[in-house]
Amino acid sequence: MDTPLLQVNKLSKTFGSGHTEVRAVDDVSLDVRRGELILMMGPSGSGKTTLVSMLGTLLRPSGGRIVLDGTVVTRLGEAALPTLRARKIGFVFQAFNLMEALTVEENVLFPAQLAPGGIAQAKPRADELLARLGLDGRRRALPPTLSGGEKQRVAIARALINAPPLILADEPTGNLDSQSGQEVVMILHDAAREAGCAVVIVTHDPRVEEVADRILWLEDGRLRDRRDEGHAWTRCPVCGMRVDEWTAQHVAEHAGERAVFCSQRCRERFVENPVAYAA
Amino acid sequence: MLRWILKTLWLQKPSLLASAAGVAGAFVLVVILHAVFVGESRQVVAYVRHTAADVWVMQRGVGNMHMANSFVWDSKVKRIAELPGVRAATPILYSGIVVRTPGRRWLAFAVGLQRGATRGGPWAMAAGRTTPGPGEIVVPRVFADMAGVALGGRVSVTGRILEVVGLSEGSFSMGNSVVFMAASDLAELMSAQGTVSYIIVDAQPGQDGAGLAARIEQAVDKVSALPAERFIRNDYQLAMQMGTEIIAFMTLIGAGLAAVIIAFTAYSQVARRRRELAIAKALGVRNRAIYAAVGLQTLVITGLGLALALLAAWGLFPLLSALVPQITLVVTAEAMWRAAAVALVVASISAWIPARYVARVDPLTAFKG
Repeated sequence: MDTPLLQVNKLSKTFGSGHTEVRAVDDVSLDVRRGELILMMGPSGSGKTTLVSMLGTLLRPSGGRIVLDGTVVTRLGEAALPTLRARKIGFVFQAFNLMEALTVEENVLFPAQLAPGGIAQAKPRADELLARLGLDGRRRALPPTLSGGEKQRVAIARALINAPPLILADEPTGNLDSQSGQEVVMILHDAAREAGCAVVIVTHDPRVEEVADRILWLEDGRLRDRRDEGHAWTRCPVCGMRVDEWTAQHVAEHAGERAVFCSQRCRERFVENPVAYAA
Repeated sequence: MLRWILKTLWLQKPSLLASAAGVAGAFVLVVILHAVFVGESRQVVAYVRHTAADVWVMQRGVGNMHMANSFVWDSKVKRIAELPGVRAATPILYSGIVVRTPGRRWLAFAVGLQRGATRGGPWAMAAGRTTPGPGEIVVPRVFADMAGVALGGRVSVTGRILEVVGLSEGSFSMGNSVVFMAASDLAELMSAQGTVSYIIVDAQPGQDGAGLAARIEQAVDKVSALPAERFIRNDYQLAMQMGTEIIAFMTLIGAGLAAVIIAFTAYSQVARRRRELAIAKALGVRNRAIYAAVGLQTLVITGLGLALALLAAWGLFPLLSALVPQITLVVTAEAMWRAAAVALVVASISAWIPARYVARVDPLTAFKG
């Protein structure tokens, strides 16, 4: 069995001290392999962002150890971390975080200047990513002119440009409509399956559970078994994705039966030709 | 990084332009003050420069003309004129006076000319005669315009009424305006009959000014003789000494003002992009690369401000000269270099403040929605 790409051992993070001490992450251990897509869920304030920030080397842990691709990152000095982040980690943020003044293509190529080959060497890969993510026609567009889904696809292309082995995505579907959210999840899924990246997604979005290899539940700073009560799972009749019937946003009636869908797109397809999808 | 910084600045064009305009304002101040200083300093030596003598002779111990007192017995003029190597020796009287017209007074330096003198008079004329006779005066055209005096008009010099018979050009400045009178009139005003102030010596062709000056000092008692270039240099240095401290202080104020504007602009530009800086850091951009980017941004603002300042100064100078003719403005290449050097120093200092801010930006900010 190959060595996990990411090894986290007894990781903890404490904020404050004395009476005001808060243990945001408490004794967390986990391994993530290449090609694996991990979902990290939990209530607000459970320590998800703190944990992912430590995995991304943006926050120093109070204790424990992180090994990324054979490097003990918790032992590295501050000066070594930016290079590690640029080459080994791709970030996808909830708020997209694109550079407003740069075009789609320039945003995608932004981290390439930090990699050994520079922008010139990354250009063909940027072309390929833009084409694959359906952004070819938008390469000269500026971020304010893009839809939320397009912005997040640009952010994903940016995260993938240096071919990092680890992708960290913080609520990547949080600001997206259902269809765009589904597209983004599938792109991240492809990054894991086709590019062999280890993908860690922090989310509240239950739709993402369908594509995850593992689902981790973080509560009070500790990783626990996933809680799956509170859901009434059914399948989207169009794409087969698992959908929570109680919280589903896209619903249609056919022949007296209620059907729920993962996205508006699937609902529209169903409404166009319900006979094709009705069980 | 370069593209990012430049495009971000370009995206905020109104802000960039406002910042550059503020910086330009400060630099215009620096450039104009320097131009005034150089212009006025040059006017101090305008008379001696245009007289184009080979040697100047004066009372022993005196080394310049501006604001100086020099008395030489007039018998020495003939003695000098007869020395070998001397083609001509022209005496002049020189004294500080106040020229009055109804409603206006002006401090000037009067040059007293011998009857029929062909040397030592005004070097450019707007109207009238170059050589005044007794009871007559040649005044700068700019002064005449300001005082409302025309040819044939009257001015008063120490109670003596003189008729304006000539209007000279290039002889007016705030600190060293030159008027021309008959030597007899000026001698009477100075109570200096039988003396001259300076002797303008023209050398025979092929004579060296320095050598001739040395020979004059050897042959004639109690006089100093200086070759023209040294005489001019002495006057110019005196003018520079008188104004250097003031101009240095003004330059400091202008530069300080520019530094404050640039620092504030650069800081606000950086503060506005706090989130993008955090994103850049999160993506792996090092602090030193961001410092360089902030430095470049500051340099762009400063450079743009400087270019605008030079453009504005270029347009303003003719306008200022027309509106305020009493001020002589001279823009030199040195002034441009000085402004550029000041700009570079100011930009470096100003970049330090936003750079400190950059260092404190936490890349974790990128995770906050």
